Amino acid sequence: MKKRFKLLATAGVLVALTLAGCGNNKSADSVNNEAASAKPKEVQTLTVYSAGPDGLAANIQQAFEEKTGIKVEMFQGTTGKILSRLEAEKNNPVADIVVLASVASMDGLKESNQLHSYKEAENATKMNSDWSDVEGYYYGYSASALGIAYNTKNTKDIPTEWTDLAKPEWQGKMNIPDPSLSGSAVDFIYGYTEAEKTAWDTIQLWKNNGLQVNGANKEALDAVITGDKNATISGVDYMAYKAKASGEPVEIVYPKSGTVVSPRAVGIMKDAKNVEGAKAYVNFLLSDEGQKLVTDAYLLPGNNEIAVKDRAALDEIPQLHVNWKGSESKQLDILTKFNDIFR
Amino acid sequence: MIMEGKRTFGLLLTIVATFAIAPLIAIVYYTFVHDGHFDVSQISRMFDNDRLWRTLGNSLLLGIFVILGTTILALPMALIRTKTSLHKYDWLDIILTIPFMTPPYIGSMGWILFMQNNGFLQQLVPGTAWLSNAFFSLFGMVMVMSLHLFPFLYLMLKNTLLRINGSFLDAALIFGRSSLRNWLRVILPLLVSSYVLGVLLIFIKTLAEFGTPATFGSRIGFQVFTTEIHSYLSRWPVDIRMATSLSLFLLSVCLVVWYVQNLIGRKFTYSVLSGKTPAVRDIKDKWFIKLGAWFYVGFVLLFAIGIPYFSIIVTSLQKVRGDGLSAGNFSFASYEAVFTSGSAGLAAFLNSVVFSILTAVITAIIGFFIALYIKKGETKKQQMLDFFSLMPNIIPGIVFVVGLIMFWNAPWLPATIYNTKTMVVVTYCVLFLPYSVQYTKSTFSQLDQSIFQSAAIFGRNSWDMYRYIFIPLLMQGILAGMMMTFIISMRELVAGLLILPPSVETGATFIYSQFEQGNVGLGMAVAVITVAMTVVFMFLLDWLQKRGGHVGA
Repeated sequence: MKKRFKLLATAGVLVALTLAGCGNNKSADSVNNEAASAKPKEVQTLTVYSAGPDGLAANIQQAFEEKTGIKVEMFQGTTGKILSRLEAEKNNPVADIVVLASVASMDGLKESNQLHSYKEAENATKMNSDWSDVEGYYYGYSASALGIAYNTKNTKDIPTEWTDLAKPEWQGKMNIPDPSLSGSAVDFIYGYTEAEKTAWDTIQLWKNNGLQVNGANKEALDAVITGDKNATISGVDYMAYKAKASGEPVEIVYPKSGTVVSPRAVGIMKDAKNVEGAKAYVNFLLSDEGQKLVTDAYLLPGNNEIAVKDRAALDEIPQLHVNWKGSESKQLDILTKFNDIFR
Repeated sequence: MIMEGKRTFGLLLTIVATFAIAPLIAIVYYTFVHDGHFDVSQISRMFDNDRLWRTLGNSLLLGIFVILGTTILALPMALIRTKTSLHKYDWLDIILTIPFMTPPYIGSMGWILFMQNNGFLQQLVPGTAWLSNAFFSLFGMVMVMSLHLFPFLYLMLKNTLLRINGSFLDAALIFGRSSLRNWLRVILPLLVSSYVLGVLLIFIKTLAEFGTPATFGSRIGFQVFTTEIHSYLSRWPVDIRMATSLSLFLLSVCLVVWYVQNLIGRKFTYSVLSGKTPAVRDIKDKWFIKLGAWFYVGFVLLFAIGIPYFSIIVTSLQKVRGDGLSAGNFSFASYEAVFTSGSAGLAAFLNSVVFSILTAVITAIIGFFIALYIKKGETKKQQMLDFFSLMPNIIPGIVFVVGLIMFWNAPWLPATIYNTKTMVVVTYCVLFLPYSVQYTKSTFSQLDQSIFQSAAIFGRNSWDMYRYIFIPLLMQGILAGMMMTFIISMRELVAGLLILPPSVETGATFIYSQFEQGNVGLGMAVAVITVAMTVVFMFLLDWLQKRGGHVGA
């Protein structure tokens, strides 16, 4: 017992000493940092943190590399993962460009002074102004509409309203992507509860009817594709369209009372090392060529003039009107409320 | 003698400190220092969180049930493989490690796909819907986790039983009264140390596991500590301080478990290897023992491999997942996509192989020297090094990974390996060093003192001692450690998700991202290829190990 105590005590002292060491070194680093920033390294590659869809991100990367000759290093993850990675890397930032599946989170990055404004982006004026920042901190270059994705084999009565899913025939048959993982799902809860007074009651009814919270977007949709569930609330439409195109028994409806269109935004990080490359990347995403790639992935383009492919266009989708500016802190409350109901 | 003196200690401690301790300090620092001030408010914030106790309760409950589950699976299996005529089928060992090599989230995905509504079971046997509801419960989760973890316990028990088979058994046969009494008085006590070590590691592994709780647990609403930590780390809103403090709390729990394990382990460790090779006896079973043994093995193989792999392979071959098991719905398209040159899946898979091999080699070398220094952990320095080198085994991987990120991102470091492939290998080495230390040490602790004495007397120089005595005698342990390290590195997920530099993917992160955003069939194809390749690798290593043993003897 004594031996062990001594061992632990030694470990404790060691920890304390090293901590003291860290503290002392702190002042020296700021000097180092300044020296480093005075002489910026030449950077040819561009680092992009992108929240899916992976096929689109890869196509954009390839087309951009071919066009500009700039090498892209890509990190892909959900919006939540990218935000946490940015947080962990605060001392040693890596990303030049972030692409998130939620404008609210993007707005949060702007509010915490992590983004670089690029007002002069080419085609900036053609972008949907509801999805982009007026000061040019981020651009909603694409969007997905959130609907009810359902299994066409197992669904007899196709739901037309959100409240339909509170009916007994849907008992235990539907799921929703986890809003703390999926940027679009948190956008949905936010938009729906902002625009619809009875939304929380409906959500509670869903819960009582056995609504399951089911991982990231694709995981939730896969449960519907394989027939484990019959419908996904807040299903990401482009994924449903893509699955449908490859022959899966899945279809998506947008409730008549309106749904949320969740923009996906691109922004340049304040600490970006390759600002010129980052600007070129933004320009590329906003260009007609980039927008064409967006529609090829069944997403809604940020530029309304580009025609969509095999899917409902923006003006065909009944929309709830949602104001994204400054919504991040509100989203946090909503997420907490949602978690209180479901966990 | 070997590996003694201050300089060796200093060197080893430096390695272990940079590798394993620095990240923990970074975590402690992050938890307790806020804006340059010492601040304990985080701890009270953590304890105010009433979910803390529920998730802790869930974790401990799960740990205990998984100990039960793995014991039920591993103990009979170890006995069958050492005491019945099945002992000669060495290929069984390799087959039996497949569940452990399977990434846990893939295994549970396989089970989920099999058991869910309209899953493969219901397609094969309509009318089994009631089974589905029963399966999606704590019982199912314990079963899936036990089926994944039991090979670990099984190998430990089997190796101990094999060693006991030598002169101890002869002595027991000659002097013992009845075979039952031999069992109770000789074999069981000798087995206790291994068993306790094994199940406590299983317990800690269960506490640290995140793959199954993340896939299966989230489905049945069973939150455990790791998923809680994980959600603070990787879900929006991110709260790293909460995650680090929760990790420190979990760490304390694990340290208590570790302390108990040490107490018990110390009390029941005996030298059972004295240089005499255990005699291989020809065992003749009664027919019902043989039948029962095969039945048991078949049953375990069906549940641990058959069912999950059925789902995995079928999914990787399906054209339209929504059409389920129907004729004409199968193709090799996913595999073709993987083997197309320049495919992301193939690149990711090859990255995994390279990282895993490097990790296995580096940890084997460091682990060998550390094990030699620690010996039986009699001095304080040895105990300290032992403790530090085992730390990564006691602490959930995700916590270490975050610690490493913090440490290598510290602004005062003159240079950093962060965001390079080196970082990946270093992280893997930190996470998996305990395996090589553990395996080498456990082989080492079975060496009798007389070997050191004769080595000291007859050895020419220390190099010869290493070359002719220690390396050959420890080879089995070293190779087993390397094997484990390789397998575990191949399926490591959490580290990859958090520390891979952009544009670099491993097999595991590739598979995982296919679930999240992409094509599940493609992910499953890479999973199948990974496991198939690992099995081949294991047969090779098995062959090497046997050859190494012969040269040594």
